[in-house]
Parts: sequence; structure tokens; C-alpha cells
Amino acid sequence: MNFKTFFAFVAPSLFMMILFIALPLVSVFIQSFQITQPVMQNIEVETCTPGFLTQTCTTEMKTVPTLDEDGKTITTTEWVGLQSYRNLLQMDKVWAAVSSGNFAEILQIDFWKALRFTLMFTLVTLPLVIIVGLLIALTVNNAAKSVRGPVIFVSLLPFIITPVIGSLSIYWLFVGDGILTAMMERWSGTNISMFAQAWTIELLMYFYRVWHVAPFAFVIFYAGLQTVNMDTLESAVIDGASRWERLRHVVIPHLMPLIIFIALIHLMDCYRVFEEIVGFRSQAHVISLQWLTFDFLTPDDAGNRAIARASASAMLTMIGIVFLLILPLRRTWRDHKGSAH
Amino acid sequence: MSTTSKAMRQSFGLRFSSAAFLVFWCIIAAFPIFWIAVMSIKAPRDAFADNPWDVIVGPATLARGEGLSVLDIAVGLVVLYFAIRWMFTRLPGLIRQYANGPFIILGWLAGAVLYALAFLLVFFVVLPLVLGPLNSVLGPLGEPILGLTTQHYVAVWGENEFYRNFLNSMLVTAGVVTISLTVGTLAGYGLARSGSDLAFWLLILALIFRALPHSVLVAGYLPWFINSAEILRPIFGELSPTLYGQPWAVIAVLVAINQPFTIWMLRSFFQNIPAELDEAARVDGCSHFQAFRRVIMPVMWPGVITTGLFSFLLGYNDFLVTALLLDAQNQTMVPAIAGYFNRETTTTDQVEAVAAAVSITAPLFLLVMVFQRQIVSGLTAGAVKG
Amino acid sequence: MMLKKLALAGVVSLMGTTAWSACAFENETEVKILSAGFEAWKAVTDAMAECGNVQAELDQEFRTKQPAAFEANPSLYHLGGVSNGTITPLLNAGTIRPLDDLVEKYGQHLQPNQLIRIDGKIMAVAMMVNTQHLMYRADVFEEMGIETPKTWEDVYAAAAKIKESGKMDTPLGATMKSGWNLAQEMVNMLPGHGGNFFNEDNTPAVNSAEGEAALATLKAALEYTDPEVLVSDSTYVQQQFQQEKIAIANLWASRAGAMNDEAESAVVGKVKMAAAPMAMDGGAPATTLWWDGIVVASNISDEEADAAFRVAMEGLDEEMVKANNEAAIWLVKGYEPGPLAEGAIATATANPAPPAYPSTTRMGLMHTALGNELPAFLTGSRDAAATLVAIEEAYTTAAKEAGILE
Repeated sequence: MNFKTFFAFVAPSLFMMILFIALPLVSVFIQSFQITQPVMQNIEVETCTPGFLTQTCTTEMKTVPTLDEDGKTITTTEWVGLQSYRNLLQMDKVWAAVSSGNFAEILQIDFWKALRFTLMFTLVTLPLVIIVGLLIALTVNNAAKSVRGPVIFVSLLPFIITPVIGSLSIYWLFVGDGILTAMMERWSGTNISMFAQAWTIELLMYFYRVWHVAPFAFVIFYAGLQTVNMDTLESAVIDGASRWERLRHVVIPHLMPLIIFIALIHLMDCYRVFEEIVGFRSQAHVISLQWLTFDFLTPDDAGNRAIARASASAMLTMIGIVFLLILPLRRTWRDHKGSAH
Repeated sequence: MSTTSKAMRQSFGLRFSSAAFLVFWCIIAAFPIFWIAVMSIKAPRDAFADNPWDVIVGPATLARGEGLSVLDIAVGLVVLYFAIRWMFTRLPGLIRQYANGPFIILGWLAGAVLYALAFLLVFFVVLPLVLGPLNSVLGPLGEPILGLTTQHYVAVWGENEFYRNFLNSMLVTAGVVTISLTVGTLAGYGLARSGSDLAFWLLILALIFRALPHSVLVAGYLPWFINSAEILRPIFGELSPTLYGQPWAVIAVLVAINQPFTIWMLRSFFQNIPAELDEAARVDGCSHFQAFRRVIMPVMWPGVITTGLFSFLLGYNDFLVTALLLDAQNQTMVPAIAGYFNRETTTTDQVEAVAAAVSITAPLFLLVMVFQRQIVSGLTAGAVKG
Repeated sequence: MMLKKLALAGVVSLMGTTAWSACAFENETEVKILSAGFEAWKAVTDAMAECGNVQAELDQEFRTKQPAAFEANPSLYHLGGVSNGTITPLLNAGTIRPLDDLVEKYGQHLQPNQLIRIDGKIMAVAMMVNTQHLMYRADVFEEMGIETPKTWEDVYAAAAKIKESGKMDTPLGATMKSGWNLAQEMVNMLPGHGGNFFNEDNTPAVNSAEGEAALATLKAALEYTDPEVLVSDSTYVQQQFQQEKIAIANLWASRAGAMNDEAESAVVGKVKMAAAPMAMDGGAPATTLWWDGIVVASNISDEEADAAFRVAMEGLDEEMVKANNEAAIWLVKGYEPGPLAEGAIATATANPAPPAYPSTTRMGLMHTALGNELPAFLTGSRDAAATLVAIEEAYTTAAKEAGILE
């Protein structure tokens, strides 16, 4: 296929990605080195607000943005280099904590707190998703033909359900005296609060993510299992390979590309973890990198948003993902080279 | 696997633990969803009771005289059993009879919608009409014992006009699936057939695009979308549209966000279609596009359906993009649910939200029931090879 | 029976659209309004819709959308529903117009205290007030011989007494969900202790003796609250009340109605309202006053503004208030305060009166800083002094970025 035809095929897709992803990406990149702020002025303002029957008027100095003749806010944009990154990373505090040996201090800084959780979340759930997905695939494959249909259907439910709803449905089971918490209390005889400390919330979040994604891994593995070469399997049996050895030396290698595929998708999605934080209201205890970015972007009552820091945090999130992806992608690169030549 | 050789046969212990694991998994998978369905048909006080038995039986709901009798439950279960059985056994054949080839997708969709309508009709019109008089005759058997109220569904679909959100969701989702697949199939084919390094790096770039946190993207769009009329005026004059609130603008955004995944899936799928096929067509004098249309299109449906399903889930389940870029008139279902959780929420609102959540999940149920086979066969045909 | 209900619902919804035509005039200009989504706004926008050609958007994301949508030219909405918090970005950007002449033309029925004047110009028309105040289980208090608490010390003493009696494990409810809610508690408590958030030059002044005292008062609550208090928002506290799990809370006035909702509540008629508790003797109640009201966009034609304001006045008339008396503490003529409004009125008319929420650019930044830094203090991973330092640092970083600090 020559370049021109190739380009014609990919052009529409490329155009959409450039318009809606690449351009915003470039602007985020630029904004992470800039600070745009309105020109502020101090003026004395008298504000009258209602009590119940009377009004109270107060006069105070307010710092407000200056407007030009057209009524638009005058803003200045300044290149600040890595200032936003510095505000985010707070390296001075990190070094102070390291040199005093007080490592817990580092986790008081939002970015590092978020990074700790995001990384741990990604790395803990990854093997769990693959193992659980594989287990379900193997057991479904092992089950009688007649029950496979309904079982696959039920297994897919956690994956297809809207994430917002899925996380809420689990939140309700555990919050306060939710039925599952109440049940555990009855068994253990102690008062349990799942949302009162970080580790229980984290456990629930891991559980939710595995519950939600394992079906995806399952259905892909299951499809993969349908194409396992039966001859190889049979000859392995003749060679006296045990069930475990067959799994290890025939089935898993056959599924390896799929495992890599799942790992790739999972790493990316997990590193952007967000719904769990909102759904489980875990902000007080654990936060994630995308939540941090989102929080910077959410305007407060007065309409302020920390765009510069949000951009910096988004860029750092992306860099993190690229690092995580290098390993699985090296294999894709080798495959690509292998198939091209 | 049916011709299991002796050595392949499994010990009882293995079979038992395998089955036990499967049952355990199915319970975990279904329970939270089952539970919100139960909550949605109870009075607010029952729905958030801390004793599970209270939630299931619903004393407060019963106290208002709303519930099912033994007879209702028995008849309902029997009808339900046959309804589900019929769907798994007869429906597929019936649909295949009326639709074939590429139209099978449409046939399935139409079949599913008709089935859903019939299901609602039977359970909410025919059965109550028949069982109502019977209950009053039967005495103790006809006494309600299991609390059930449809008030929240009536509130959601009636007073709150949830059907509007439903239609908007359908519009957005249909748009996302069609455009995403059209654009993605072309690109996936191009990428699969070009062995150049450029193709590889494009794929990697797409992956990195996929890595960008959505909240950043969406917050970036908002000012442009709101001011688009003013920005585009020099180019398009008075016709320039305000993109904010327009479903097609949101469709474009969702398609773009979904492209990386779509082209990855479709590329690996096309890689598994032997290149000799289209090369043969090329030898016969077809251009690449003709080869694609005549040779590839007829065999690509399993992979396209599977990929389409993932696009469907993305479009249907999206919250961040639709919440921010659509106005209330064009709001889809998922962000509409968030409306029940504003700062003035009451317990009733929350149960209504649960009812809305169940309503959102129902079409997904149907979709998976219908396309379950296609997902597995599509994936088996090689839509994923890393 | 189900069928009958469905039919009934259909009839009711039909009635909702046709049988009402209480508007005094027929509106011909298209009017769009964007506001928050709670019950009072629903009542007002429904009343406005009777005039025809009104499109109301009760949107959860209005906080994000409103400033941008009003800045577009022409503005995407004619009217906006704001509170004293969310009016600030619109005022700052100059995207809402003064209403003096419109009020003169159409607003004869407005009460003088509904008119929000900023620098002498009417910029908004308020319709209701809201505030956090004390709600308590009158039956429990009476049974145990506890007087209505006046200060936070009284509140904790009462909570201790109820807890000791074994009647409730967690007698106190608190809206301390991390983020906005928790920060709001500090916004109540610091001025309540006589402290200030800022110095004259916009630098923070939280790190003070008053700051420490306010933090101590906040933390004292944890002994009597549910351990999951950091996820508890007003809906959750309201549910705890309804399910008889708590006996006292400092809760929003707009929540009072839910206590007597037969369908949800097990404590109908048992919850009473009183003024918000004071943080120190002789001080103002430790709370803030809020109002919600209507603004008109400036980037629209005068004719549109005229029509929009006229429609808005129809939404804020006596008739609407009479039909929805319990939906809010209305400022509109015709409102008859019931027993549920007692607490809010006692709070608002206290002497000295609590301040209105001081919405400014710097306060917005401070609110965010408080919401992000306070949870670590309440979970115990940071002490009071370090927390106050952290709040000041977070505020300073944000304030420099926003351009209000050098």
C-alpha cells in the first residue's frame, strides 16, 4: 500500500483525533508553562444582602478583575517556566522530608499522595484482573455447554453497567449501615465503618475495579481459549504433562498476546482512575492523579480555577502513563518488526 | 471439547471447585445489580433499611397496600421463565428467518426492541389485569406479601420525562457507533495493511492520545463550544452554530476520544484476514478501496460488531463529556441521573435515581443478551491479537 | 391497580401543562434560564413557564457553565439563578446587567429586602434565604431534660448526655463531607470564634489563636458523630435524622421539610428548629446567611431583557409562594413562615446577626484550600498547627496564580 492510499484510509480518523485530542493536548502543554490571570484592582464595594426581614449593607475592599471598554476582563499571560510543576511537586518539602528521614511527610503533599495511590491502584489491580479474568474464562470453558450462555451473560454484567451506577451500587451496599456492612457487623460483633479509614476505602476501590474490569479480561481470554490448538494439547497429554504444566506451557503462551493487550488497556485506564474517587467519596483519604486534575479545573463559587496547575498535573499524568506503557509496547514493536520483514 | 479423551477427564474435586468458583463469581457479579433493582421498587424507608430482609420484603411498602401476592409471584415467575427461555431458544431463529447478511444487526435490534416492548406489555399490563380480579377472589393467597411499588418508575418516566433523556441517549449512542465504526474501519484497514513504521508510530500516538485524562480535554472544550458562534462568525457568517448543547458536536467528541481503541481493535482484526484475499482482488484490477469494499467488507462483520459494542458502551455510559457539553434539552440519561444527587436531594430522589439507574441498565441487558454470541465469536475471529 | 396509577399519572402530567395558565400576560420572546436544580427553583421556573416560550434548565453543572454561557455574545441564557456565592464570577466579569429601571417598571410587588444592591445598583432579585441552623429531636431532649443548646459547648454536652444514656451511639450529625461541605463548617466556625480569614492585603490570617480554637471545636464533634462523617453531606445527615440515628445537627434550613415527610421519615413532628449555636458567648451564631435569586444577562438586547425580567417577576409572585409555601424560606410577599422556619428566622434575626457568606475571589480560593487541607486534620494525620500552615500555603499558591497576591 503506498503512502497516498494509506493516508486516504487513515485521514478521517486522524483528522478527528488531531482536532479533538492533539490540539487540546498541545494547548494543555503550552498552558502548563504559562499563567494567565486577570488584572486585579482593589475597589471599595457596598453590598446589601437580605436577612429575613431587613437588609444588611456592608462596605469592604474587594479585589476584582479590571474590565476594558467592551466589558471584557483584561488578562495578562506570562511564561513562568516550570513554576506550575514546582507548585505541584513541592520538591523543597520532599527533600526536607527525605533529609529528615520523615517519609510520611511526603504523602501530605497532594501530588505525591495521588501518585502513591494511582500507582498502587494500577499495580495491585493489574494482576488481580488478569488472574480473575483467566480463572473465570477457564471455569466457563470447563462448564457444561448448556450453562455457558447464561453464565457469560451474568459475567458480563459488571463490565457493561454504567461506571457511575456500578460504583454507586457498591457504595450503597457498604455505606453507613448498608446491608453488607450490617451483615459483617453481625458476624464479627464489632462496629464496622467501611468509609471511615483509608485502607478499607482502598480495599473497596480495588474490589470495585476488579469486579468491573475482570469480565472484560474474561471474555477476551475466553475467546482466546476457543482457538487453543487441540493437537498441541493432546500431544502434551501424551507426553505426560500434568494439567498445570499444560496450562503453563501451552495455554498461557497461546494467550500471551491477549494478556499483553489487557495489560495495556488496563494500565491506561487504571492510571486515569477517577470514578471510584467520586463514587466512593474518598477525597478525604485517598485521591488519584486525574481527580487532582479535575479538582484544579472545578471552579469554586467565585469562578476561580487553577488552569496552570491542572495542565501541569495532566502532563505529569501522561508522562506517567507513557513510562508504564514502555514495557508492554516493546513487545508490540518487536511483533511489528517481525511481521513487517 | 466434547470428545474428551480419558487423560483430559477431570477429577471430581477439580470439577467441583471449578463449578463452585463459577457460582461464587456469578453471585458477586450479579448481586449489586440485583440489589439496586430490588431497591428501586420499594418505598424510600424500605430501600435504605439496614436489614436486608426489610429491603426485600418491604414492610413500609406493604403498609401502603402495595405488593405482590403468592399468586402474583408464582404466575410471574412462570411467565418470566418461559419468556427468558423463549428468548434464548426461539428468538434467534425467528430473527435469522427475517433478516440476513449485514441486515442481521438491524434484525437483532428490531427483534430486541419488540421483545422488550412485549415484555413490558405482558408484565405491566396483561398480568396485573388478569391477576387483579383473581387476587381479590383468592383470599389469603391473594394477600400481598412482598412489597412492590412502581411509583419511582412512574415518577422518573412520567413526571421527570426521562424518555427525553432516553431518546437523546439513543441519538448520541447511535451517532457514536456509526461514525466511530465508519471512520475506524477505514483507518484500521489502512493500518493493518501498511507495514510501514509510520503506521506503527501512528498507533503508538493514538495510544498516548488515549492516555490523556478526559477531564482535561472536556474542560478545554467548554469555552470553545460555548463561544463557537462568535469564533466561527468570520468564516460562516450568521450560520455559524453554537456547538454547546448540540448532540452532533458531542458525538464528534466521543468518536474522537474513542478512536484509539477502535482502530487498535479493528487493526488487529484486519491483520487476521489473510492479505492474499485483497491482493487477489488487486491482481484482478481493483483499487484498494474497491478491494476493501468487495472483498473485505463481506467478511469483516464479526469484528466490526464486537468493536461496535465497545463503542456503544462508551457512548451510552459516558458521563464527563455529556454532562458538561450538553444542555438540559439534549441531556442524555447518565448525566440526568446526577440531577437526582444535587445538594437538595431527599431520600425519595435517591430511590428515583436508583429507578433511573435500573432503567439505564435495562437496554444494556438486552444488548448483551442479543450480542453475547457475536462478542465471543467476533473476539475469537481475532479482533484482539495484542 | 398499577394501570390505574399510570393513567392517573398521565392525567396529572397533562394537567400540569394545560390547566394552569396563571400568567398575567402572554410571553412572545424566547426566554432561557439556567439555574441550580433544587425544589425552590423548580417551583419558580414552573411558574415562569406558564407565560409561554420559557425554557428552563435546572442543571447540576451550572456552576461551571454559567460564567462561560453568560460571557458568550449573545449570551446563551437570558436569566440566571444564582446564590450569593455564584453571583461573584458574573459580577466580576460584568456579564449581568443592573436592574434598576426594570424593577421600577415591573417590580412593584417586590419587597425592599429582595433587592440585592451592589454599589447602589440593583444587580439581582433575591427570592429565598438559606442558612445552617440547629435541628434537634425535641422528644429526646424533653425526655432527658436537656435544654435547647445555645452554644457549641451546649451541643457537645447534650450529645455526650445522649450518648451516655445509650439511646444513640452517634447522636450528632455533621455535614463534614471533605471538600466544599467541610470547608463551609470552618467558614462558620472561624468568624464564630471572632477570627478573620484575611489581612487587609489579601494575605491569609487563618493561622491564629482563633483558627486553633475553631479547629478544636470542629474536631470535638468527631467524638459524637458517625465515624464516616467525612463522607457525610446534607442528604446523608437528613437521612440519619429520618432513620432516628442522630438527635442533633447543624443543618441547612432547606432540609427542614424532609423531617416531616411521611414517606421517608420515622420522626415526623419530632424534630424542632432553633438558631444556629454560637461558638463563643456573646458572639453571633456560627453560621452564614445565603440567598438565592435571579440575575439578567447583559449580552442580550434590551427587549429580551425586558421580556425576561417580566417573566421572572411572574415566577416570583405571591401565587407561586402560596402554592409552594414549604419549599423554601421565601422572601417574597405572601410567605407564611411555619414552625419549620423558626430556626432560620431566629438565626437571621439574632443580635449580633451572622454574616452573609462573604463571596469574593479570595474567599473562593480560601474555601477550596480549606476543603482540601482540613480532612488531614480530622483524620488525625496532621496536627492543628501544621494544618493551619498548610491552609495558608495552599491559599497563597492559588492566590498568586489568580493574581490577587504578588
